[in-house]
Amino acid sequence: MRHPFCRSLVWLFGIIGFVSGCSGNRSEKPVSQTPDLSGIWLGKAIQSLSPSDPTGQKPGVEGDIPYTPWAIARMKSERPAFGVNQTFENTNDPALKFADPDGYPRASIHPMKFKIVQTPDAIYQLWEYNKSWREIALNRPHSKVPDISWFGESVGTWEGDTLVVDSIGFKDSTWLDPIGHPHTEDLHMIERIRRADPETLVFNFTFDDPKAYTKPWEGQLTFKLKNDGIMTETIYTISDELSFRQRFLNEKPNLPIRSGH
Amino acid sequence: MKAKVLALGLLLTAIPLFAHHGGSSLYDMSKEITVQATVTEFLWTNPHVEISLDAKDDKGKVRHWLLEASSPPVLVNRGWNRKSLEPGDIIKVTFNPSQRGASVGRFVKLVKADGTGL
Repeated sequence: MRHPFCRSLVWLFGIIGFVSGCSGNRSEKPVSQTPDLSGIWLGKAIQSLSPSDPTGQKPGVEGDIPYTPWAIARMKSERPAFGVNQTFENTNDPALKFADPDGYPRASIHPMKFKIVQTPDAIYQLWEYNKSWREIALNRPHSKVPDISWFGESVGTWEGDTLVVDSIGFKDSTWLDPIGHPHTEDLHMIERIRRADPETLVFNFTFDDPKAYTKPWEGQLTFKLKNDGIMTETIYTISDELSFRQRFLNEKPNLPIRSGH
Repeated sequence: MKAKVLALGLLLTAIPLFAHHGGSSLYDMSKEITVQATVTEFLWTNPHVEISLDAKDDKGKVRHWLLEASSPPVLVNRGWNRKSLEPGDIIKVTFNPSQRGASVGRFVKLVKADGTGL
């Protein structure tokens, strides 16, 4: 390319090409706007999911829970260790009597912490109590045949700043809360989880279980951020329960108790 | 001043609603007993941390008490750990007594000999 004009054109086009490549014409990859629910959260020791009776003073007659006759009969037969009719010695609370897992949402109803860990495909809720955890799968539907499990199967989608969680497949031997609200395996739970402010996480529940409740009813749990980084292990075993009863109630254990703590 | 700050930091009060092992079905929550006692055992365990202690009654006779506090995660939130008490510690402890006169109780609060509180 000997002609100076041609060389100039080549240089000109080269410069134009270089500048275009450096320009902002390329579309930028959008920054993720997924809300952040992560952190360590501390709950309160309420007894009941009834909005009007969180301390469990009116079990079965709260007025804001639409029981079926089956559910009322179940409530009357339960002997919780909480609330106005509490009886620890004779409780039939499966979480105490058998050291059964709490299930959900009862696992969140302790004055203890859980940690939320977010990944692109799932959100994990990790509880101190009994080192339990659940997975909320994101952006996929329920299994065609979900297991029946202590904590159910949860799938979630984002609606703005709210995580909407749909849960099914719950084992029916758990109580929804410490006062003994029952449910069946047909329980369909919807949660709307939102970070109301940087230090407050709110769970709004809808419990839809036609055999237990004549229509869906709602409850709420609120948690405060406690990001000191300390999650403590507390695992409740039947041996611990029997040892406690032996030491505090002078009950003779009907099983060998593990020695040492 | 440091002791006061530490006492404030370690102050533990009863959590009246969390009582799945020992609420009003086991203890008289309307009464509190305060005794000067010597810790004989401190069990950092589930379901609830246990404090064993010896205290003299008003006749000078030693009575052995067994108190339940909250569970470890709850106490950790309030500054306790598994070494917060040791056998031999002299404490002034307040608790709700048993409904039936047994030598057990539900821990409310304590102050150590050095003035620190739990």
